[in-house]
Amino acid sequence: MDRRVSAYIIRFVPLLLLFILLALPLLLLLLQWLTGTDSTVLFSFIDRGTLWLIGRSLWLSFIVALLATCIGTACGFLLYKFNFPFNKFYRLALLLPLLISPYIFAVAWKDGLFWFFGNTAAVYSEAGVVMVHAFVYFPLAMLITGSALSQIHSGYEEAGLMVVSFRKMFVKIIFPLIRPALTTSFVLILIFSLSDFSVPAFFGVRTFTTEIFTQFSALYDLPMAIGQSVLLLLVCLLLMLTEHRYLSDAPFFSVSTKGSISKKYDVEKRQILWHGIFWLLLIVALLIPVSILIIQSLGGKTLFFSQAWELVWPAAVQSIKLATIGALLITALGLWTAYEKERRSHRLPNALLLLTFIVPSTVLGIALIRYYNFPVLNFIYGTAVILLIAYTAKFGFIASRITGNSIKQIPVSLGEAASVMGISSQKIFLKIHLPLMLPSLFTTFVLSFILCLGELGATVMVYPPGMELMPVKTFTISANAPQALTSSMTLINLGVTTVLLLLFFIIGKYVFKKYRYA
Amino acid sequence: MKYIFVSLILVFPACNPSAEEVTVYTSVDQIFSEPVLKDFERETGIKVKAVYDTEETKSTGVMNRLIAEKDNPQCDVFWSGDPIRNGVLQSKGITEPYQSEQTKQIPEYFKEPDNQWIGFSARARVLIYNKNLIAPDSLPESIFDFTRPRFKGKFAVANPLFGTTTFHMAAIFTALGDEKAKAWMNALKENGVVIAASNGDVKKRVMNGELAFGLTDTDDAFEAKKESDEVDYIFLDQQERGIGTLIMPNAVSLIKNAPHDENGKKLINYLLSRETEAKLAVSCAQMPLIKGTEIPGVPSLDNIKAMKIDYKQTSEKLEGIQPWLKAWIEE
Amino acid sequence: MPEITLEHITHHYGDKEVLKDFSFAFKPGKTSCLLGSSGCGKTTVLRLIAGLESPKDGIVKIDGATVSKNGEITVPPHKRNIGFVFQDLALWPHFTVYDNVAFGLKEKRERNIKKKVSDILDLFGISDKIRKYPHQLSGGQKQMVAIARSLVLQPEILLMDEPLANIDTHLKENILAHLKTVQRQQRFTMLYVTHDHEEAFHTGDHILVMNAGKIEAAGTKEEICNSTSKYVKSFLKLYTDEN
Repeated sequence: MDRRVSAYIIRFVPLLLLFILLALPLLLLLLQWLTGTDSTVLFSFIDRGTLWLIGRSLWLSFIVALLATCIGTACGFLLYKFNFPFNKFYRLALLLPLLISPYIFAVAWKDGLFWFFGNTAAVYSEAGVVMVHAFVYFPLAMLITGSALSQIHSGYEEAGLMVVSFRKMFVKIIFPLIRPALTTSFVLILIFSLSDFSVPAFFGVRTFTTEIFTQFSALYDLPMAIGQSVLLLLVCLLLMLTEHRYLSDAPFFSVSTKGSISKKYDVEKRQILWHGIFWLLLIVALLIPVSILIIQSLGGKTLFFSQAWELVWPAAVQSIKLATIGALLITALGLWTAYEKERRSHRLPNALLLLTFIVPSTVLGIALIRYYNFPVLNFIYGTAVILLIAYTAKFGFIASRITGNSIKQIPVSLGEAASVMGISSQKIFLKIHLPLMLPSLFTTFVLSFILCLGELGATVMVYPPGMELMPVKTFTISANAPQALTSSMTLINLGVTTVLLLLFFIIGKYVFKKYRYA
Repeated sequence: MKYIFVSLILVFPACNPSAEEVTVYTSVDQIFSEPVLKDFERETGIKVKAVYDTEETKSTGVMNRLIAEKDNPQCDVFWSGDPIRNGVLQSKGITEPYQSEQTKQIPEYFKEPDNQWIGFSARARVLIYNKNLIAPDSLPESIFDFTRPRFKGKFAVANPLFGTTTFHMAAIFTALGDEKAKAWMNALKENGVVIAASNGDVKKRVMNGELAFGLTDTDDAFEAKKESDEVDYIFLDQQERGIGTLIMPNAVSLIKNAPHDENGKKLINYLLSRETEAKLAVSCAQMPLIKGTEIPGVPSLDNIKAMKIDYKQTSEKLEGIQPWLKAWIEE
Repeated sequence: MPEITLEHITHHYGDKEVLKDFSFAFKPGKTSCLLGSSGCGKTTVLRLIAGLESPKDGIVKIDGATVSKNGEITVPPHKRNIGFVFQDLALWPHFTVYDNVAFGLKEKRERNIKKKVSDILDLFGISDKIRKYPHQLSGGQKQMVAIARSLVLQPEILLMDEPLANIDTHLKENILAHLKTVQRQQRFTMLYVTHDHEEAFHTGDHILVMNAGKIEAAGTKEEICNSTSKYVKSFLKLYTDEN
């Protein structure tokens, strides 16, 4: 009886919290919109122009997602499946573009092109948006497919290699096995690209998201903006559902024993070509923007590094603390929702997180303000708690997804074997599933940390007055500050994140020495 | 678990609602507004809790926040870079009139009739140009010169849906009448005007030498001159019969049902002082509105021919032309 | 030594019916072998008895008491006192051999746990591997650990799901001999699933031949060999020819 009560608590208390804290604000906003808006105006925005714009935005993001997934998968494949010198260095360095905000990336690239060619007309186009997004988001695909690749049981590949060529084995065995990871990264990148406003706005490309933004910030037409957001939401939802359908019949591989090490290949020939390709990618996606930032920060009439440091430092400390707590929360939440979904067929928590993930940041911000801004709730709205709520709403789904993939890798029999022995489900979770998921939980933590540290869209809407946060400060100071100061701040921002990332990797290495089985 | 609690305590500063503090939301660039607010904090001992936003993000953050917080305002004072946003808030019933000795010093012209917003330190629209790309004597003297063929594809204006550019266009529409203004804007388009993301972007592109000249605000132009020797700026339409250039004051509003009403008023009085205007004049070349504040190197309102506009009427015009402006960009 | 009774069990996965009105009583203290080609429902029978799944229709009884009934599990797996050796062995990769075997023990004293673990490992002759991880063991050693892990809890029922597939006859006989020894000591009821009739005849006191979710024949080795069922004949013949 006791056990049942505690099982109920474990299952329903978090769900209730999740619903009340994250999902209800959005649902209420939606309800207000539906009931508060004149029904003739409600769907007036759906006309040919809007549909055409959605189609166009989807098409753009589709190309971005395709390109980024291809580049990312190629990198993931080469870096996680082959042994060659500096392999680990590339793995880390190629993650860094993810730390640069797409807007900064766009500005730096445009300046760079101007210096090199004296003409920037080419970037002020759809092609510019596609290029910037593809280079900013490909590391995500690399991370996701890379970790999937490194979990494939060597037996599957070796068995394939006995009968067919490497190329055929790749196409027929590895590729289908990592299909879930491929579609996951494709859809995630598609949604990221679809919801980014900064790059298309900067390049003067009209997308559905810039349209929503215009409604919000030029016309202050809230019902219209929310209406359009709902439409965007439906489109994203449709995409996720399609992915889900597609995945449900995908051959999920379960590794019979996790102790087996994934297969790695040696590269003998054409090493130089490989290094060449990686360096090219590094130059385009990282070195060009970073060196432009460096040139700009040194090119001012005075040096601004110390001033920039003084401005950023207090904000950075605060941001790091918040991102750490945020990432811990998100990882825990992701673990719980993924576990509920994969092992208890309880999909609701995951679905709620999906909803909060695909809502545009501004809408999320407004929903949170309307819901939490009451004098009695000041301990939430007036403090950093509101930011933690915003972070979990924005990134909980990604965490749930990554963790979910790793739960799928653990054979069900490992849990059943313990369960017939009379071991409680809590203990099974703590002693068997949790240790086996540790590496992927760590990945989730690091990724959520980076995402929280850089989150701007919702943060700027809800951060408590007087609080200083690194992304907000970099952004607000950047307006009208000398270019050199702006670039210095961006570089410091990037540097701080990189150092933390390195630190995490070192800690990770130390921690996982204890878990050498994987 | 223990560590989580410890870090939670570290992250959340103790909040004490009764403390002497004031909350201000501002869309004025942080680099200029923060020093003023810090000075206020130092001089009065009232802690300033600020939410910054920028014109680059079109003030989406603070504006939508103020609107969403209407029923339980967190903010006491809204300090905007131009009066339009205050006008939007006023129409939504978020601002409150405020009178004091200090507000009386500001000329009526730069105040909302009921003092729903009060103007101070003004910026003007200017033409910023790159000396390497265009000689000062061949520059346009009026915005109407922009349509000349010799300037084709060489100049920029910021997206007219946002920021001070919207206001500028609304003023031009008011001054010329819709038909003439539309014809002029269409002619701009035909002459290859580059639509930049923001005034800051106009400034940057001219500084980089991507474009010969563009329309921006005095503060951007002033900043650009500090950064680079290759740029300079001029006021347009200063001829005898010219329409003059647009002057845009900062605008401050008291928020209705502000939680720290009294401190909010103190901050407003502080902002409307000679000292603040002088500081803003030095830091970003904003022109003082209180008579008799002279700062060397900063243009004075007395020497500039200003466009004759009614701010309220212009704000109303703005709402009317926005759909047309939106279509103009998207064409 | 409990008797296991299945009454009118029907079970399906999605649209696929795996057991059709399946009824049988497994004799206490004996070894029953479930024989049949893959997909005939043998493993499902084990999973239903273990309580990992509950039958869509029908009743599972252990020692006369209903443990599962019509889609509901009334006694959860861990209260049924069952040992289960999985086809994939399900050794926990992050535990050593010792931890794998000791994990389910509820003794308070560390000393007692150590004793029990080393006793059972001794019995299977693998006590020298006690500090090794599963991936450091050979196939046969892993199987021994998996069996030892389920026997250390002294279950009244041992369910084996083809745990001895893919190993050589000599080793298989060795392991089965160990198993018989323990069974004589602990006197548990054993259900052994296999598709190999040689193995079934060698191991089982009782043999059930299953086909498409139904029992084709049941009885001793002799009775099975003399069965008139066409399916049984062809199944046995098939395998005789192969070997």
